[in-house]
Amino acid sequence: MAPPLTPAYDMQHWHLFCKVIDNYGDIGVCWRLARQLVHQHRQQVTLFVDDLASFNALCPALDLSLTEQHCDGVCVRHWTQPLPPVTPADVVIEAFGCHLPANYITAMQIARPLWLNLEYLSAEEWVEDYHLNQSPVHGLRKTFFFPGFSANTGGLLWETALLDLADQANQPGWRAEFLQPLGLPVERAECLISLFAYENAALPDLLNNLRQSRQWVTLLVPKGRISRGVEHWLGEDLVPMQAIRRERLTVQELPFMAQPEYDRLLASCDVNFVRGEESFVRSQMLARPFVWHIYPQDADTHLIKLDAFLNAYLAQAPSPLAQACRQAHRAWNQPGAAPSQAFSQWLRQLPAAKAHASLWQQQQRSNGDLASNIVQFCTNTV
Amino acid sequence: MKTAQEFRAGQVMNLDGQAWVVLKSEYNKSGRNAAVCKMKLKNLITGASQEPVFKADDKLEPIILDRKEVTYSYFADPLYVFMDEEYNQVEVEKENLGDAVNYISDGMPDVCEAVFYQGKAISIELPTTIVRTVAYTEPAARGDTSGKVMKVAKLDNGYELQVAAFIEIGEAIEIDTRTGEFKGRAKA
Repeated sequence: MAPPLTPAYDMQHWHLFCKVIDNYGDIGVCWRLARQLVHQHRQQVTLFVDDLASFNALCPALDLSLTEQHCDGVCVRHWTQPLPPVTPADVVIEAFGCHLPANYITAMQIARPLWLNLEYLSAEEWVEDYHLNQSPVHGLRKTFFFPGFSANTGGLLWETALLDLADQANQPGWRAEFLQPLGLPVERAECLISLFAYENAALPDLLNNLRQSRQWVTLLVPKGRISRGVEHWLGEDLVPMQAIRRERLTVQELPFMAQPEYDRLLASCDVNFVRGEESFVRSQMLARPFVWHIYPQDADTHLIKLDAFLNAYLAQAPSPLAQACRQAHRAWNQPGAAPSQAFSQWLRQLPAAKAHASLWQQQQRSNGDLASNIVQFCTNTV
Repeated sequence: MKTAQEFRAGQVMNLDGQAWVVLKSEYNKSGRNAAVCKMKLKNLITGASQEPVFKADDKLEPIILDRKEVTYSYFADPLYVFMDEEYNQVEVEKENLGDAVNYISDGMPDVCEAVFYQGKAISIELPTTIVRTVAYTEPAARGDTSGKVMKVAKLDNGYELQVAAFIEIGEAIEIDTRTGEFKGRAKA
């Protein structure tokens, strides 16, 4: 189901509150959501963010000296403590477990806006049961909104342009055109892989698998937390835009990328190693095979979340692909828990993995996109 | 104030100036800092019910109620009847017992707490740990004594729960009434 091209909802003011915990996941999702509400749904959005410096990596146009500014149609405000008095918007979204300032809640008790709590993405079964439930707090009603992978959740955050990008990237010559400025004349038959991950003890295993691969592999590494591990394995420093070869594997570091560039990178690759929530969803909606490095949590609760996702993702996959994909995810997230050839075995399933990635993308499209689903919910509620 | 995740079945909170008893509370965590609780609440005045979701660290106002120690006596549908030390009967509606009803059985020795609101018994709180006998379960699996492999067991009252694979019919087990989880073999 394609998202509506015209606003389904009269223009409203939206306040979106985001606390940056670490990395770029929380602010990455909020920034995309804010822009989508503005551009796709013609809403007026103010994004409150506590850490402008982290945000700046995703939005280089941001001026760190300003407490309020406009970027790409979104009003960005520095969420300072205490927050100066602000009149609540028509719709207020608190993202990812952040708590609204006390004075803002007091103001909401008079203004009584529509209040949403946007939660993290998960495929765990209980999420469907929690989605759209209400919370009676502070004399107000707050609705919990859970992104997810089924029709009974809020769906995933994607926009029509991303699907168009997936189609464009399948056209002959598109990849070469994208890669040429990076100094990478990649042959059509060569396997191209992007690598974005937290520090990972399974990295040597992956690189050894790729080095001895049946086909030539080019590994593109956007500068980040995994870079040091790659350098350690190579025995030399990565230099941006300079390729280093080890047997059948070529490694090249790329500079940190803004979201649109990173989308094009994901679209151009045969396989994406992704992390967190943002790149994980982007690769899925680009219909590209991926291995997810899930954010590690205490007591290994992230592995429950990973299994729940794999169960959903692989429910309709052919058995050899399902097995290889599970092994690759296990190897990447639980080093030592899978055969040392897990990555090679999975790469041998690549044609089936590509077909399955397209099927999965179609399924997810039918759930609608998160921004449209939120707007629809607001339309139905008002 | 207490956090949402500290509320247990039988406890009462003030929401919008009204008293709500917790019939059930479940806790889930997904992703960083995103623990949430779903509760089943019943309004002590109107009898209305709702199933709200809270962030686990949301602050909610508890209502402290009168309590009295009681022991289970008998079931007169839909009332569960308990007895206090002075042999006064305390009646609690079945639906107000929440998950506690899973562990109530004839002859149970546990000293419970009846909870009163405006003079009326509105719930029963069981001890945190109770001992029950397994009425039926599949034969014990050989070899696994770690307690990590689980199987279903049925109690005298028909309630089923997950127990360690080494537990046999007739064995006494400890159950955590806050979570409904099997804790281990009862100490002799």
